[in-house]
Amino acid sequence: MASSSTSSSGLTFKLHPLVIVNISDHYTRVKSQMQQPSSNSNSDSNSNSSYSVYGCVIGVQRGRTVEIFNSFELLYDESTHSLDRTFLEKKQELYKKVFPHFYILGWYSTGTDAHESDMLIHKALMDINESPVYVLLNPSINHAQKDLPVTIYESELHVIDGNPQLIFVRSSYTIETVEAERISVDHVAHLKPSDGGSAATQLAAHLTGIHSAIKMLNSRIRVLHHYLLAMQKGDIPCENALLRQVSSLLRRLPAIESEKFQDDFLMEYNDTLLITYLAMFTNCSSTMNELVDKFNTAYDRHSRRGGRTAFM
Amino acid sequence: MDIEQKQADLIEQFVKQASSLHGSALAPLVADATSHSSLFAFSEILSVPSVLQLGGTENSVYLDVLRLFAHGTWSDYKSNAGRLPQLVPEQVLKLKQLTVLTLAETNKVLPYDQLMQELDVMNVRELEDFLINECMYAGIVRGKLDQLRRCFEVQFAAGRDLRPGQLGSMIQTLSNWLATSDNLLISIQEKIKWADSMSELDKKHRKEVEDRVEDVKKSISLKKLQTVSRPTLTSEGMRRSTLNLVE
Repeated sequence: MASSSTSSSGLTFKLHPLVIVNISDHYTRVKSQMQQPSSNSNSDSNSNSSYSVYGCVIGVQRGRTVEIFNSFELLYDESTHSLDRTFLEKKQELYKKVFPHFYILGWYSTGTDAHESDMLIHKALMDINESPVYVLLNPSINHAQKDLPVTIYESELHVIDGNPQLIFVRSSYTIETVEAERISVDHVAHLKPSDGGSAATQLAAHLTGIHSAIKMLNSRIRVLHHYLLAMQKGDIPCENALLRQVSSLLRRLPAIESEKFQDDFLMEYNDTLLITYLAMFTNCSSTMNELVDKFNTAYDRHSRRGGRTAFM
Repeated sequence: MDIEQKQADLIEQFVKQASSLHGSALAPLVADATSHSSLFAFSEILSVPSVLQLGGTENSVYLDVLRLFAHGTWSDYKSNAGRLPQLVPEQVLKLKQLTVLTLAETNKVLPYDQLMQELDVMNVRELEDFLINECMYAGIVRGKLDQLRRCFEVQFAAGRDLRPGQLGSMIQTLSNWLATSDNLLISIQEKIKWADSMSELDKKHRKEVEDRVEDVKKSISLKKLQTVSRPTLTSEGMRRSTLNLVE
């Protein structure tokens, strides 16, 4: 039984983007491999809408914080509705060799909501980890949705109709990134404008990035400025160590001012302008050429019919 | 930034010692502080009340030494050598390091000649050794040595103790920096708006041209039905359409 109540276990979950990318990649691979045979058969159209993939998530649990670092795929046996145990153990051994600190924290699947059948798998995993987590990814694309379609469920023992039953309860999570993950996510996020837009939107996107970076720098300088002003007025006691650091920082300005820089900069600027000019020239001359061709076609066709004088 | 962390404990230690001693007992403390290899900041020690009391007494010379190390350079010492006590080699070294820091305050590119004159060093080899071993490895400066142009480009220099007037100029620099970055933000926003409006104009223009082409196409296809006047009218239509495209 899936429940929409929130968990009360007090565990904080931290999810790494790698896990989300892995799950979505697994689902995409399976789905695209399935499309090819099913395009020939004219049967099930529901095969591509109800398929879900299964796998395991691994990570570290320190006290009350559960940090999910990585994940791997598992074989799911449709007939017995269970995961392939030997495969799981083999994979677990392999991953233990590479990441000795990571433990199996739970499992993942794709779908829109947690189902009854998922509880069976959940119980099966309970002998590896007494309280596994269930990460659910919703593969349907919903443009209106602002947050990630990932939910984390825990199992809790609730008394329903007199018998204690394990049900899924939702937990909140935060995204935690390592530097490498941040760079790759940043990279992927910036890929979009190059198919979407014309030169103007690319320029606007680039400038917006610079704008936000400078705005952050600006706010930090403002804080320093306020601090120094307050120190001058005497509102706060003088902290010499900080003042020394600020003075060494300020001495780094202006950052680049040598003659060599000016020369190089102007040279590159002129080169870019020249190339743009040249490109424009080429464009103009080719348009002119087309125009003249069209003109001549019009003129020739006319004179072949015989009769009129030249247009000019 | 890590220099400050390294110094923080030392400074605390010296301040504690200084606040418990008085008078001439502070002399060895001052000597210790100024020869310590990783201590470059003296304004905390200077602000300890018992140290300030030294001024005006017969031990005021130690206060002067401390002040020299906080704000002065090697050439200051040479010009006042009569009044100040003799410095031990570690103190001389430290004062020279602080001199480099002071020079780095004003210029980013320090010519070797100036450095050699300020530090009383005779040849380039000694100067470079001093810069590399004493200054860069100690972490107080970071930069590039350019032997061909005979200069030292400073990328980072640790801060020295502040003179009273410097706070004002620092605030001034900060406010200039703020103003510049504000202006930059505004001009970037204008550029973004310009790029957007240009693309809007371009789209509108394209749409207009296409509409006109559509109209002309329609008029041609209508007129195609009339076979007799076909020649003149097609050329007329083509001319009109080519004229439109030229615009």
